[in-house]
Amino acid sequence: MHSDRVVVVGAGPAGLEAARLAAELGSPVTLIEKKDVAGGMPIHADYAALTHHFRDATGAMAEMIDAVTSNSLVDIRTGTEITAVNGSAGEFSVTVSSDGSSHDIDAGAVILATGFQHFDPGRETQQYQYYEYPDVITIADAEKMLKDENFVTPSTGRAPERVAFVQCVGSRDRQIGNEYCSKVCCGISSKQAIEIRRMVPDARVFIFYIDMRMYGYWENEIYWPAQEEHKVNYVKGIITEILSKDGRLVVRGEDTTMGRPMEVAMDMVILAVGMEPSQGTRAMAETLGLPTNKYGFIDTDQNVLDTVTTTVPGVYVAGAATGPADLDDSIASAGAAAAKAVSMLRSAAVPV
Amino acid sequence: MTTEATFIPLDAIRKPPPPDPANAPTEDVREKLFELEDAGELIVQRVPEPYVEVTTKYGRTKKIPEQMTWHHKSCGQCGHIPGYSTSIFWLNRQFGMNYVDPMDQTSCTAWNYYASATSNALAQAAVASRNFAAAHATGYYPLIHCGTSYGHYKETRAELVHHAELRRKVRDIMEKLDKPLVVPEEIVHYSEWIHAMRDRIAERQVRDFLGITASIHPACHYYKLVTEDAIYDPDIYGGQRTATVTGTVMALGATVGDYSTFFDCCGFGFRHILVQRDFSRSFATQRKIEIMKEEANPDVVITHDTGCVTTLDKSQFAVKAHQRNVGIPVMSDAQFAALAMGAHPYRVVQLHWHATDYTALLEKMGIDWEAAWAEFEADLKRLESGEIEYLSWEDADA
Amino acid sequence: MSVTAPPMTFTADPGATLAPCSYTEVPYADKLSLWEEVKADDRFPDYLYGCYECGICVASCPSAKYYDFSPRKIAQAAAREDVELIYEQMNDDVWNCSQCFSCNRCPRENSPGGLITLLREVSVKHGLAAAREALEGYGRVVYKIMTTGTQISPDMLQPDAFPDWGPDVKKTSDNLDLWRRALPPETLHTTEMSWQVSDETLIELYLIWLHSDVMDMIEEADEGLHMIILDVMEETLEDAGYEV
Repeated sequence: MHSDRVVVVGAGPAGLEAARLAAELGSPVTLIEKKDVAGGMPIHADYAALTHHFRDATGAMAEMIDAVTSNSLVDIRTGTEITAVNGSAGEFSVTVSSDGSSHDIDAGAVILATGFQHFDPGRETQQYQYYEYPDVITIADAEKMLKDENFVTPSTGRAPERVAFVQCVGSRDRQIGNEYCSKVCCGISSKQAIEIRRMVPDARVFIFYIDMRMYGYWENEIYWPAQEEHKVNYVKGIITEILSKDGRLVVRGEDTTMGRPMEVAMDMVILAVGMEPSQGTRAMAETLGLPTNKYGFIDTDQNVLDTVTTTVPGVYVAGAATGPADLDDSIASAGAAAAKAVSMLRSAAVPV
Repeated sequence: MTTEATFIPLDAIRKPPPPDPANAPTEDVREKLFELEDAGELIVQRVPEPYVEVTTKYGRTKKIPEQMTWHHKSCGQCGHIPGYSTSIFWLNRQFGMNYVDPMDQTSCTAWNYYASATSNALAQAAVASRNFAAAHATGYYPLIHCGTSYGHYKETRAELVHHAELRRKVRDIMEKLDKPLVVPEEIVHYSEWIHAMRDRIAERQVRDFLGITASIHPACHYYKLVTEDAIYDPDIYGGQRTATVTGTVMALGATVGDYSTFFDCCGFGFRHILVQRDFSRSFATQRKIEIMKEEANPDVVITHDTGCVTTLDKSQFAVKAHQRNVGIPVMSDAQFAALAMGAHPYRVVQLHWHATDYTALLEKMGIDWEAAWAEFEADLKRLESGEIEYLSWEDADA
Repeated sequence: MSVTAPPMTFTADPGATLAPCSYTEVPYADKLSLWEEVKADDRFPDYLYGCYECGICVASCPSAKYYDFSPRKIAQAAAREDVELIYEQMNDDVWNCSQCFSCNRCPRENSPGGLITLLREVSVKHGLAAAREALEGYGRVVYKIMTTGTQISPDMLQPDAFPDWGPDVKKTSDNLDLWRRALPPETLHTTEMSWQVSDETLIELYLIWLHSDVMDMIEEADEGLHMIILDVMEETLEDAGYEV
């Protein structure tokens, strides 16, 4: 049966924006979220400040959630998963289940916004020992500490004197199989470096990198201030080993500028882990029969001028479900997906 | 910002998820071998039963044969530290394992290849294939004694699988020798056999290692060549470092003395150890032995490769003249396990071939080494007088 | 006529170089043909992809800590096909590598150690002075491995060969024959080889050397050594009824 409802899967930044715009354009929307709380990764991973405007993540996401909850056209279902999708564009039947019971929803279009998960550093082929040393953490662990305003060396509880970021963990790596760049980690690390320097003014912060990917305004808003105002040290040469010595961590890399191997002591090492498709993205790809690329992200319809249409008519995708995306990307693609979905539904509904 | 301590107990928040072999980022070379066998290009020698299954880096299982093994010996080991090889055989004999110690075996020749490059891919692959064919003809399965042979053979296997032209040329040479082209299903290192047997070895342990601290040195060629094919275990180092050797040392009740240069090479260098020994000596002592002594103060260094035992053991003498902080005895996991099971330190473990003083270690193990040496000297007298021609296995356990 | 070193230019011409060059007496064409030979090896594509200069290889390299040696520069020179620099590395650097393959940690899956193996093979094959020099003093090992199928035999443990290993070396060599007979494994009752290798096995080994172009490589590296090895091989093979 024809429906003009848009079902949005995932209530992270992309899903919230897609739901908001579709509703603003007049379509009824059902927003499905697997977790008990909306907000996506910024909320579930306790992000502190968003890259690049340094806006408080909780506040920003509250605003996005509010825009959706205050719109009567949007029906938000948290703690709910999609278990099946039948039908076709304009006439989908979406089976949702929650608390053990399920029922079907009629929908005209589906927008996937199931996002990403962080790379698990236990799969790293360099010797980072994330599961051996409590003082080796990820940028997600660091966000939580920054949000709690409690940035300390985990094993001692004291403020760190030397903090190192290691970029490209789980990205740009043929051995691991994630050859792509995760796009946001250079910006995130630099942002966190600035936050750490503000919170712990006596700490020296180092970022070990292969390339600094600070495209667009990130260069002048984050990178230059990190170096010039906050004296963050950028060293070109990635770390290969982290071990423990005299109660501190020792990191090994090459200072490629000086052309010699280096090993230095650090109190904490923060691994800039990359993005991988989330469990939800993988599950929805299978449920909908969507092609994925070799990394498991959802393939769009290969048209470079269209970043949101999938190979299944009526199904659109936004945000990090298609590949590494920053917040600007996610919100922009969510808008495109919502517009395309609503437009498709309206042209389909025009009586002959 | 709060100043109260927020200790994060590692176990509470972080447990590495065991690797899922379905998500392994590499191909399974064994599947490719079976495909080539089906296409008639080579024969795959299967691992005989009974075998033990262990897990490798990406969660795949690897078969380790318990017996019916063809012992692919190590030249430097048999040549200069023969207690190492003797211990491997002794362990097999203690468990009644059926094995072959072949004369129809050449060195893998990789020491020469890596040192001097007076060889090429074809010759190296042909030498490997000749050895594999020799094993296959006996019906016994190759068990590799040397870390370099093991790594080199893993590479050779990959080259044979991926380069049809090389395969063809090697097959041609094998034909001239009237041999088929054979590749074993798994390349198995003896330390993997010891790892698979470690609990059984511990059951028969008669010497107490409780007070002994051992620092582990993993061989570069064991785990850095074809990195996915090495034993990893989620219960040992959280699966973040190879489990081989460490698992054995732990099973024998010794304390593992960790140190901050675990992943460093020993400095062997292949040609450096022979013609540029200042490099090997400096590296072994400054990057390994001194660090171990400073950070872990172990009673012994345990490793699982000929070159590593040689470099770490022999390099310590000359630097004593420079008052460097050295003096840790070095031995293989095979010798350590043999001592645990009550092997004679001289008749079996042949420690007199080692350079760094091991007597304090033996005392800690409760071994009266002076009495043991006297027994061995008595053996030597019998050999000298011609009463016996060789020391037999029976003599070794007398 | 020798080609003088081109000035430092920034062109796509493979004859240009981004570094000052040495070995200006060697014609560029010779250097280029050595490099072409390295690239022609079947294994070359497995050893070199792209390089983003992360430095992981140098960080893990033992030789980089003691020599002015950089596996990253080996990979970079190869990726840029900087023939002049590669030739220099073949003569000055490649013998510093300790062949540990820690550099196989490369996230691009390059193998600088593998590239060095190829560079060394080509330099030995062509008798480069650096190769000959590097192999001086290594001759007896090559002789041992080629003729007996084992290397580092017990009788090589002589105090004059290993003075820095301590007084135990002398004790060992003084008692060598006795101590070898005091080894339970039967195959170890030998001092000339690491273990007893059967005659048939040696014949098979010699045939492998002869059919795989290894003898030609040895001839380039050390003519005298080549002669002695060939003599031993020929004698054994002829006795066994083979025509060499």
